[in-house]
Amino acid sequence: MECRVLSVQSHVVRGYVGNKSATFPLQVLGFEVDSINSVQFSNHTGYAHWKGQVLTADELNVLYEGIKLNNVNHYDYVLTGYTRDTSFLETVVDIVQELKRLNPKLVYVCDPVMGDQGSMYVPENILPVYRDKVVAVADILTPNQFEAELLTGRKISTEKDALEVMDLLHQMGPDMVVLTSTDLISPHGGQFLVALGSQKMVRPDGTTSTQTIRMEMPKVDAVFVGTGDLFAAMLLAWTHHHPKDLKAACEKTVSVLHHVIKRTITYANKMAGPGKRPSPAQLELRMVQSKKDIEYPAIVVEAIVL
Amino acid sequence: MECRVLSIQSHVVRGYVGNKSASFPLQVLGFEVDSINSVQFSNHTGYSHWKGQVLTADELHVLYEGIKLNNVHHYDYVLTGYTRDTSFLEMVVDIVQELKRANPNLVYVCDPVLGDHGSMYVPENLHPVYKNKVVPVADIITPNQFEAELLTGKNISTEKDAVEVMDLLHKMGPDTVVITSSDLPSRLGDRFLVSLGSQRTLMPDGTKSTQRVRMEIPKVDAVFVGTGDLFAAMLLAWTHHYPNDLKTACEKTFSVMHHVIKRTISYAHGKTKLSIILLTVRSVSPKHDVSTPMLHSRYGVLCPPNTTS
Repeated sequence: MECRVLSVQSHVVRGYVGNKSATFPLQVLGFEVDSINSVQFSNHTGYAHWKGQVLTADELNVLYEGIKLNNVNHYDYVLTGYTRDTSFLETVVDIVQELKRLNPKLVYVCDPVMGDQGSMYVPENILPVYRDKVVAVADILTPNQFEAELLTGRKISTEKDALEVMDLLHQMGPDMVVLTSTDLISPHGGQFLVALGSQKMVRPDGTTSTQTIRMEMPKVDAVFVGTGDLFAAMLLAWTHHHPKDLKAACEKTVSVLHHVIKRTITYANKMAGPGKRPSPAQLELRMVQSKKDIEYPAIVVEAIVL
Repeated sequence: MECRVLSIQSHVVRGYVGNKSASFPLQVLGFEVDSINSVQFSNHTGYSHWKGQVLTADELHVLYEGIKLNNVHHYDYVLTGYTRDTSFLEMVVDIVQELKRANPNLVYVCDPVLGDHGSMYVPENLHPVYKNKVVPVADIITPNQFEAELLTGKNISTEKDAVEVMDLLHKMGPDTVVITSSDLPSRLGDRFLVSLGSQRTLMPDGTKSTQRVRMEIPKVDAVFVGTGDLFAAMLLAWTHHYPNDLKTACEKTFSVMHHVIKRTISYAHGKTKLSIILLTVRSVSPKHDVSTPMLHSRYGVLCPPNTTS
């Protein structure tokens, strides 16, 4: 398999978020990963302390220029995640557009990270950039419910709302949308969270068809960081292998997350000791230890086709 | 296996040198790799063009401070390679010393990158820093012949010279020394290059014993970049599993190199490329070679017939 991904995300010295979370699993699956580190921090910002440096939009341009001057700016995928700077994000859009001119088949997998549970954790002025510029060039989008609501200006209270929001997002650009988590009530009860996906495809006769799926995942009583980044990377990988089968791609992706999270929480609880809540350091994803699950995920979730 | 490595090396967006060359193989082998990127370049400097940014010694210190403030500055290994800046290198030494105070069992694997084939390709003022400050705190070093000569001030013309140089290097600090390539004539002819290794161990009765190994590696007619970084990383991995058996650790390390280089060469020949072929080590596909390297008595390693600028 000769497949090259350009991933523009954070780098942390220790732990697994951003490029640290995405690169190893993609490489294990045989993807060539070119990575531009948008920041270099000691660790993610959920620890008591963090220190490091950020890349400016100009510096991003300089790195891209180097790639371009060598005429190696040919990619099959672009992958982006958490970004705080509007000019940086705008430069990313310019780069994606240029890369798409060179390879019209390029697939841009975009996690439009803005916030969760009703509040934004990036500057507010990022929203219009995502809404008006980024989503338009994205092919696969992985918002959570809050981000999907922000991008479309519509609230989600029912599954019907969610399907309409995903349709609106299709109209804005991406043919594939996965609502990675929602507050929708699961038929299995409060210990499960509901994720939804929608893939628009063009039939041979030129008409469009949409496959929508729903997945229920067991909730885990801990805060994990980097799982969204792992999700987007694995969705990239599994949609690459199942480009017209959202159900299969999502089942594999969610299964990988399940195995990694399970291993992580088991380890974290063991490290913390009985009755103690694990620390952010202890909760770092057990990525390296999950190599086999990343390569050959046992399917543990069934996606229902709606 | 719960083993954490702090690797302080270059990052390239595209290709496999520095941390890009070392991290994935170590992760595949189950090591936790914390990586500080000393630079971020678009690609290595053997291409026609390269662009990017470097980390200053202060910025390195800031990153280390973050790790330390969270009380997670506990490492089993430190790994360093190509560095061009003396104050950066001195900061690395300070960090290694502090990490060794926090964990006296820490093993510092150091590739003292200074040059090759008689000429330096880093600023000259790095030489005294390596000699006087870095090598004394290193536990495993992987100099080539030129670097070993520079560090000890002794020329190597015979295997006997090489053994004496490795003994001098032991006295300076590291208990494990691998001269990764030399100009010594191989018993198998001039299509082979000679590597040597030496490991000093403390016996239960308090005496020191030294195991020395010699390897003959088939030369390959191409310039590779990143192979030295891969070598140091794999030597770290295999000495971890064979801490008192340099022979086995080296055999596994050189076998990995052979497989990766061989696959890289086949891939490169498959492409329609002209003029200078600058091959980057294809670390991704040979994942299985990294995990379970087949032992070979001869290995493919780099021997550039003429280095490009």
